[in-house]
Amino acid sequence: MKVLNFDSNQCERVRRQLDAYLSNELLVETTGEVLKHLEACESCSRELEARARVRGALQKAVAKQLVPEYLRAAIHERLRNARPGFFRGFRATTWALALASLALVLVAGQQWLRLQRGRQLVSSVLTLGVSDHLHCAIRGHNYPEVANPPDQLRQKLGPEYAGLLPVVQEKLPGFQVLEAHICQVPGSPRRYIHFIARRQGTILSVILTRREGKSLPEGKFLVAGTPAGIDLYRAKLEGMGVAGFETNQYFGFVVSDLGQDEMVQFAATLAPAFRNALDGSATTETDGGFGSVRSVGGRVGHPGPSVTISSCGAPILLVAEEETFTFA
Amino acid sequence: MFFHSKSRVEDFEAVALPHLADLYRSASLLLQNSPEAEDLVQEVYLEAWKSFHRFEPGTNCRAWLFKILFHRLHHLRRRLIKASRVEGFSDPADQDNLMAEPPVPPEIRDDDILRALAKVPPDFREVVLMADVEEFSYKEIAVTLKIPLGTVMSRLSRGRGLLRRELAEVAGLYGIRPGSERKREGRLG
Repeated sequence: MKVLNFDSNQCERVRRQLDAYLSNELLVETTGEVLKHLEACESCSRELEARARVRGALQKAVAKQLVPEYLRAAIHERLRNARPGFFRGFRATTWALALASLALVLVAGQQWLRLQRGRQLVSSVLTLGVSDHLHCAIRGHNYPEVANPPDQLRQKLGPEYAGLLPVVQEKLPGFQVLEAHICQVPGSPRRYIHFIARRQGTILSVILTRREGKSLPEGKFLVAGTPAGIDLYRAKLEGMGVAGFETNQYFGFVVSDLGQDEMVQFAATLAPAFRNALDGSATTETDGGFGSVRSVGGRVGHPGPSVTISSCGAPILLVAEEETFTFA
Repeated sequence: MFFHSKSRVEDFEAVALPHLADLYRSASLLLQNSPEAEDLVQEVYLEAWKSFHRFEPGTNCRAWLFKILFHRLHHLRRRLIKASRVEGFSDPADQDNLMAEPPVPPEIRDDDILRALAKVPPDFREVVLMADVEEFSYKEIAVTLKIPLGTVMSRLSRGRGLLRRELAEVAGLYGIRPGSERKREGRLG
């Protein structure tokens, strides 16, 4: 069927554009031409109205379509149970990179934990020296205002450790050694050799105590320096600067309220000298030596006839108690 | 750990769920099957959620959802329905009779126009729906359906014409000369 109720080329051209006109897809100029024609052509105007009416009716009818109530809830539920797609698009290489990164993070984390654990161990050892310095030299004030004579100090130290006195005097320039003795911590079998020195009001302790098989942890990030092949450690604990080192059988500490770096400098000169003196004698310890004295708490032993053991009062509990010292 | 946070789902729902009604209605009219439409829309939302990390906030979420809808719809059609193709569609009307406009009833009932729409072949129906109901631009339709702009225009023109012809048939007006629709003289065979 052909129904041609127009005979104008203009009408034909306009009607071809009516769909685009309805969809607002015509250029402004073309829209103007169409509007101009529609004003003059009743037939085309009716056609536009018919098309617009169908379009409007379709929109209205579709809008009345009801969406099932449960559909929104069902989607809501499925979304919460669905795995998000962030990783779905990952290719094998991406996964490999992600896993490698994860492994790197794990390794770094493990190293960090080891470092933290190492720092804790260093602190737990250096705490010994700080504790001894505080409750014997600082709070106990177990030193005279005028330095005891060297002979008296050597006697207090006993033959095993008397030889260390000149070493301390030599390696602490500017300091005067006021006191030297062997201390015992009450309630604990641990004892320590204690040198107390002074420089312009600053009290400094040099302390040696047996390692009892314990060690300072290794690790380049933990060590403050390695003069003469001896690792030095440092910390600031209870307001005190402390540097520590170890010989074959002893921990050595230099403690004062001076800075950590200065303590490290003193420890750097003391450590090799102590190692030579102590390790040389370690294999020839006698019953009168400190090694035997140390065993008083658990076994039979005595300090020897010429050695006086000082008691320095109640032990001070610092960051780490002895029970926490667990070395691998 | 892998970003399945509640707030992210809520972000997605906030931008995507407002278009649920539009998506469902289009799916329903294109499939002519409500349960299938419900399933399809759910799948659309799941797929959109899974690729939500690629969605750029502020861009056209509605167009994005419709693109997914039609992608899945076409896949569904190819696989299951084997819907009639444009090439195979036989238009009983004279292709040359461009200007022979079928009559439009003075009052168009919702049922009539929806029944008429259901008779329009899917490839035309979807363009009519996108342009006339969802009011997407030709360009958006071309991108969504992955067809050339010219094809959008020709399908829309044909689709509207077919809808109108089917509407006339449904309303019993087919064959009435334009300008005499009100007479309702019946349809010509």
